[in-house]
Amino acid sequence: MADADEDAVRGTAVEATQIETDLSDETQDFRLLNHLNFLTDTSSSSLPRRGEKDFEPNPTLLQADVLSSSRQAMHNALAHPRLHNPKNQVIAIYAPDGPGTSASPPHASSQISLNSSPPSSTKEQNTVKPPGRGAMVSPDACVYVPNPKGQYFKSMGQADRKGVVWLLPEEALYLLERGSLNIRWPASITGGSTSSGPDEPGAQSSEDDDDLSIPMSLQAAYTCLIGRGGLTLERFAVFSSLKRIGYAIVRAPGWNDSRTADDSSDTHDSPNAYTQPLLRGAGLAGIFGRIFKWINDPRCTSSLAAGPVIGYGIHRSYADIYQKLALIPWYDPTLTPQRDPLDTTAPFRIIFHVYKPSTPIKKTALPTPDFRIAVINTREHDSIPTLDQLGALLESTPLDVPRGEKMERHLYMRLRHGYRNVIMVVVDQGVTSFLRVADAAFGKERIYEAANAPMGAKKGGNYRKKKR
Amino acid sequence: MESAPSLPISISYVSGRYLLFSIDVVTYLRREHNICGVLIGTLPQIPQQNVFLGLPLELMPEEARLLVDKGVACIVDEVKAHDGMRSLLEEDRRAYLRDLETQGQLAARILADRKEQQRVQSLKEIDEKRAKGLAVKAAKAAQAAAEIQATETSRPTTEAEESASLFASVDEKTSASRTTGTTTPAPLAVMAVTPTTSYPPLPEPAAAEHRLARPDVPLSYPLFAHLHSLGYFLSPGLRFGCQYVAYPGDPLRFHSHFIAVSAEWDEDVDLMNIVNGGRLGTGVKKGFLLGGPQKRRDEVESEADRVGTVRTFSIEWAGM
Repeated sequence: MADADEDAVRGTAVEATQIETDLSDETQDFRLLNHLNFLTDTSSSSLPRRGEKDFEPNPTLLQADVLSSSRQAMHNALAHPRLHNPKNQVIAIYAPDGPGTSASPPHASSQISLNSSPPSSTKEQNTVKPPGRGAMVSPDACVYVPNPKGQYFKSMGQADRKGVVWLLPEEALYLLERGSLNIRWPASITGGSTSSGPDEPGAQSSEDDDDLSIPMSLQAAYTCLIGRGGLTLERFAVFSSLKRIGYAIVRAPGWNDSRTADDSSDTHDSPNAYTQPLLRGAGLAGIFGRIFKWINDPRCTSSLAAGPVIGYGIHRSYADIYQKLALIPWYDPTLTPQRDPLDTTAPFRIIFHVYKPSTPIKKTALPTPDFRIAVINTREHDSIPTLDQLGALLESTPLDVPRGEKMERHLYMRLRHGYRNVIMVVVDQGVTSFLRVADAAFGKERIYEAANAPMGAKKGGNYRKKKR
Repeated sequence: MESAPSLPISISYVSGRYLLFSIDVVTYLRREHNICGVLIGTLPQIPQQNVFLGLPLELMPEEARLLVDKGVACIVDEVKAHDGMRSLLEEDRRAYLRDLETQGQLAARILADRKEQQRVQSLKEIDEKRAKGLAVKAAKAAQAAAEIQATETSRPTTEAEESASLFASVDEKTSASRTTGTTTPAPLAVMAVTPTTSYPPLPEPAAAEHRLARPDVPLSYPLFAHLHSLGYFLSPGLRFGCQYVAYPGDPLRFHSHFIAVSAEWDEDVDLMNIVNGGRLGTGVKKGFLLGGPQKRRDEVESEADRVGTVRTFSIEWAGM
């Protein structure tokens, strides 16, 4: 009997979960991809539905065939090349030394430093503009695009004074990976191989333009770009997974693990966030104060300093009584001091700011981010963060008070939204999970006052009135 | 596809992680060694989604260690290996660039062929539509003749007529362009290619000095190796709140059966964790598998000796 009930319950539960199953949580059947038209239509909008899986392997040919066709499809999908149409390809050049030093602009100016500007290299300078250090360019940038065109540079890259766009390693790698950027090895690495440095310009000018520069492979790009300027594979995985689905994502000040806040700010001396529900004064003065208050305060529900919380007397309103009953201190997130985002410990600190696709972005003046992200690797941190770590992380985000008509009406939405929030991304060997952590302020939700709100009017409000 | 890559396979060690970039190696390991890894890259053909991902493939340290211990793979420090780009021979470089150009030409030709095919296909469709339109028109005309009083029916007839003439003009135009296209084949632009791996231009087996020692593995390695030796496919367990998810066959075709958590033999296991694991496993229709080697690390010489002593227990919620 019980079993039957449970089975019924489980049956519906299973159906429900199947509907809710997140496609990306399962190993995908790449056969489905065969239906998409690869080489021609890259903007296939709808994804195919997942196929059926078997319970366990059996020695049938049918199963073997299905499996091998699945694998073949996967093979084909993964073997898809990254092609660039010469008409609209964007060429970038890897600059291993970054935009910083004068020696770094690799192509042309290194040749100048090596060989005092022969006529051949000036010609080349016209084709490839030597990038100079711009005020806006991050020192971590290491790939530059001499001729930036296309939509991608609206939310990525930083232009220097000469109009050359510098890309951070994650931006460059993401663009290369999606087949939108053709990164070349710089001549400073691959150029002078057989010949020594000074001969290099001559060897180059004998060829047409950039024919001799070698395109960077995906493997080379991962090798050179991951690990640069604090970019771990986990951070890149988060960056690209959000980028893929249209979010704009930029580095936050906390990106650099070693950066800490200046200790000059005395934020810790600010008022305690834990409220004192009752002001129990100490000593005689306190008692007198209390009595004085009792005389003056018509709403007092006659409690004494040492006596019962609710004493004898005339009680005029429920709200006052409830207020007296609130003995347990609670945490008020609105009173917590704002913590410097750098005053947190890695990895529990914000490293990315994320903007929804609908948020208009100006690279020079970024608006306040829609989401703040911390990235955690399970292999390095396999336990839940401590309250200290989590508290510090939340305090480093600005106050985000639940607002709006819906929030006003629904208590649970308010609690879920919280007063501060942060997205923690947990990465386990390439599997990413996004968790939203918010601090809910249960103490701020006065249920007894909400009884008259539209939601509870039928039950609470009317009933109570009758009783009175 | 059935071809085996030359052994040992090089596993790229990049910034502390183990990656594979060659599609042949990925399929080979999946087919012959039950190693799946996790795809983490963007698929260039459909880059704006997170459901289907592409190369590179990330391997757990356990997977890399297992392959190295089997003698199937070696770990290559890619950063050092890529220093080889500095000492590339001039002729190798030219040969490589020529090779890329050939690839680009091939790709351009395939693309052009496919475009042509599609055009022929769509032209055919238009022809069919046109024929159908004419048939409809004829039918409508007949109908209209039969019911001459009803004014509503005459309107679609004119529409059909218009669309038919529209198709005809399109057809003429396209057929004209088709003939011109075939008579003067435009010179195909060579597509630039971003190769997936760096071998070539770098020499194939990576030089011995770039090889690294066996990967360090967590304490749970014996359980991993044990389950793997029994034919299970294992993947990282974050999705199901465990250490490894064990699949009875290739995850492409089968659901997983166990969520596995490793413990040392003398380790205290919190009863609540067993209850949690049991409930969680039952909730997702999997068994909760708790296992570990009976010997500690300091009792044996190598991790391989621990693998043989693994015992496993599966816990199911009985629901009594």
